[in-house]
Amino acid sequence: METIGIWIAALLTLGIFSFLYKDNPFYKFCESLFVGISAGYWFVTTFWQVFMPKLADNLVAGRLYYIIGGVFGVLMLLRLFPKIGWLSRWSLALVVGTTAGLYFTRYLVSNGMIQVQNTIIPLYVKGNLSQTIGNLVIVIGTFSGLIYFFFSKEHKGAFGGLAKLGIWFLMLSFGASFGYTVMSRMSLLIGRMDFLLGTWLGLIR
Amino acid sequence: MNFLEKLLALDRRIIFLFIAIAVALPLFFTVKLHIEVTPVVRNLHNALEALPPGSKVLVSLDYDPGSMPELQPMAESFFRYCFMRDLKIIIIGLWPNGPIQANSALEVILNEPDIKKKNPKYGIDYVNLGYTAGNEVVIERMGSDIPVTFPKDYSGSKTEDLPLMKGVKNFNNIDFVYNLSAGYPGTVEWVLFGVDPYKIKLGAGNTAVQAPQIYPYLNSGQLVGLLGGMKGGAEFEIATGHPAKAVKFMFSQSVSHALICFFILIGNFAYFATRKKKGA
Amino acid sequence: MRYKNLNRLLILTFFFFFLILPLGQILAQEDTLPPAPPTEVRASDTQNDNGHSITITWKLSGDDGAGKKDVVAYEILRSESPAGEFVVRGMVPAGNNTYQDRGAKEKEDKNYFHPYHDFYYKVRAKTLNSYSESGVAGPAQAYGQWFHLGKLPVFVGTLAFTIMVLAFISLARKGKKFYVRPLAGIDAVDDAIGRATEMGRPILYILGLGSAADIATIASFTILNRIAKKTAEHKTKIIVPCNDPIVMSVAQETVKAGYLDAGRPDMYQEENIFYITSMQFAYVAAVNGIMLREKTATNFYLGKFYAESLILAETGSVAGSIQISGTDEIAQIPFFVAATDYTLIGEELYAASAYLGREPLLLGALKAQDLAKAIVMISLASGAVAASFHLDFFLRLFTVQM
Repeated sequence: METIGIWIAALLTLGIFSFLYKDNPFYKFCESLFVGISAGYWFVTTFWQVFMPKLADNLVAGRLYYIIGGVFGVLMLLRLFPKIGWLSRWSLALVVGTTAGLYFTRYLVSNGMIQVQNTIIPLYVKGNLSQTIGNLVIVIGTFSGLIYFFFSKEHKGAFGGLAKLGIWFLMLSFGASFGYTVMSRMSLLIGRMDFLLGTWLGLIR
Repeated sequence: MNFLEKLLALDRRIIFLFIAIAVALPLFFTVKLHIEVTPVVRNLHNALEALPPGSKVLVSLDYDPGSMPELQPMAESFFRYCFMRDLKIIIIGLWPNGPIQANSALEVILNEPDIKKKNPKYGIDYVNLGYTAGNEVVIERMGSDIPVTFPKDYSGSKTEDLPLMKGVKNFNNIDFVYNLSAGYPGTVEWVLFGVDPYKIKLGAGNTAVQAPQIYPYLNSGQLVGLLGGMKGGAEFEIATGHPAKAVKFMFSQSVSHALICFFILIGNFAYFATRKKKGA
Repeated sequence: MRYKNLNRLLILTFFFFFLILPLGQILAQEDTLPPAPPTEVRASDTQNDNGHSITITWKLSGDDGAGKKDVVAYEILRSESPAGEFVVRGMVPAGNNTYQDRGAKEKEDKNYFHPYHDFYYKVRAKTLNSYSESGVAGPAQAYGQWFHLGKLPVFVGTLAFTIMVLAFISLARKGKKFYVRPLAGIDAVDDAIGRATEMGRPILYILGLGSAADIATIASFTILNRIAKKTAEHKTKIIVPCNDPIVMSVAQETVKAGYLDAGRPDMYQEENIFYITSMQFAYVAAVNGIMLREKTATNFYLGKFYAESLILAETGSVAGSIQISGTDEIAQIPFFVAATDYTLIGEELYAASAYLGREPLLLGALKAQDLAKAIVMISLASGAVAASFHLDFFLRLFTVQM
């Protein structure tokens, strides 16, 4: 049974890889299969992991107030009927509103205040050159980056110069994250290669 | 068309082929690379070392098979470490696939001779509470009540009946949280909804793509330590003294990186050389 | 001979019992002498909590880190009356002078901490084999606070920002013209649509993997609305494959509104805005297929993107499409910069949506953000300078106690 599974996985991997050569029916088949299966998988997961435990089980257990959430869910489905489809906006409003509310203070604290607090650091550390340089880079980098994202003033003169410095800092950080992403992609390829050469063909231990 | 122009117009399939070879060939060799444990990984390891045996560690696996090569070795090495140190593991997933990934990692680890000797028991040494929908709201709810958020475990047993879960009410009863993350919801949400409001101690393993975004949380101390991509995973394996999958793959990773650097260099050289010529 | 030995034994026994043993005991007693007790023990309600905790503070024992230096830990004991039985509630290592005695807030919990109830505390300084106790402190009661004063900066920040947003929105509504600097990516939109029209090929608009509540997705909806309006005017087909059912619903509404604005509601085709799957790479595989099969002239990638960014942009680039991208996912921006023609970096995406939409709501929010950024920049610069002279005023402005 496991062998069949490995063979299917290997053939599908090769099918998707074949796109690297060019688009072909084999790739299209694998793609459609993937889309179909994942849609089915999501449906089943949502039914058993969300609908049943979060709504049905609670209603059966007599917690009737869960019906409120259920009604909002049904409203969402009313999109299928164009005439009353507008009712789904209430559910959307609820989702958008709660998420915005939930995130506002959290972002303000975690990504705003705590981060700013950690950027307010001395520009000069007595007797420690490397820390002084490090601190300068953090403060100037953050400051010029903020200038770049200041939209109320055209980038001209000294302001434009700082914005340019900001974009340099941004590009440097993008370079670093580019490197990290290449590493990620290579890891994924290594994982697949290990599967093809090791698990499937048994060529490597 | 001279050589440089040809180089610029190089069929990308030739590059793909080179990369495939650079990744596949090293897999056949066992080369011992020197892997330096960086401070961010060292910090995570130190924080774990400071936990006394019997401490309860919550592990949230927030990824799916798409990120397995990077995160699965981290899950395995972490479970191995916990079992060896007698740390109690509570597994959850904010992604539906997370707990399934956990089970396949456990299957590997529980079959290792060292761990077999320890013979960890489900319900006493580790539990898998499964997945629950709600993303960051799940973390928020766990802050007040974990058994209410996860009333049943992965196999359907009542959470409160599991011996390990006795006395686990909320984050106050959890000594450390370890999060393996491939996107949303993941480490960012754990910091926003777990670390800052509930003061949990959080360490994380991330796909390399995500890692740069997580770094600011390290600087500010909101995150104890971070394993970034497969390299981070390899460092953790070295730090815990048990080199495994991630270390094994590092040779492939290094060779492919070297090849990519080479391509970037000659690509840029060809680009600037031909541009200068055109400009002249 | 035998008696002589017996005598010796008796003498030795005498020495042992009456001289050596007491001496040993005296010497050993040095080790079991209790340490100096902790002093000035105070117990009071823990501030900024929900009312199930009391904080105990004390002055370290004279033998903690000084004197005999033999204190290893402090035990905190609690009782319900000053003369009652004291039970151990917790222990802290030597060198610590505070302890928070905490309990559960649920009445049915074993560890329930009774609020508004008198408790008395003692602190015990412990050496390896002895201890000494402080006097009794208390009574103290635990009670909850209405306001968590440690979070005051968050409250002030939220309030100030909300007022700023509302003020700017109301100004924009009153017709105040706000300046937004030009953005290269947005100036290129018209050309990109014109090109698709000339070539007679469709436009592909990708909203990313975000949910309908993500700010990037919301910004993208505004831009989608503008682009839909222009495609309606140019009679060009627009395809919007979605990754999230809710996003799809909103996208349908948005495009429909765009067609309505252009006066061409008849041309709106709902089947072109469709849901594929929520699985990341399955979605990417499907979108790649669409790009190659439909030979889209222009691709927009605006919203939240993850690992799929490069795969999408790369495929589009190979297919020869003009590509305009924008995301607030920092990790993905490098790929967009490398593989697409124009990129809106991070917040530029939000700015673009305000710039294009010219809606008071978005413009007001953008202006409020700019003001907030200015405040942060000033605090940051002054704070860093002040910190160099060991002044921590600015630092305290941003300090939050949770």
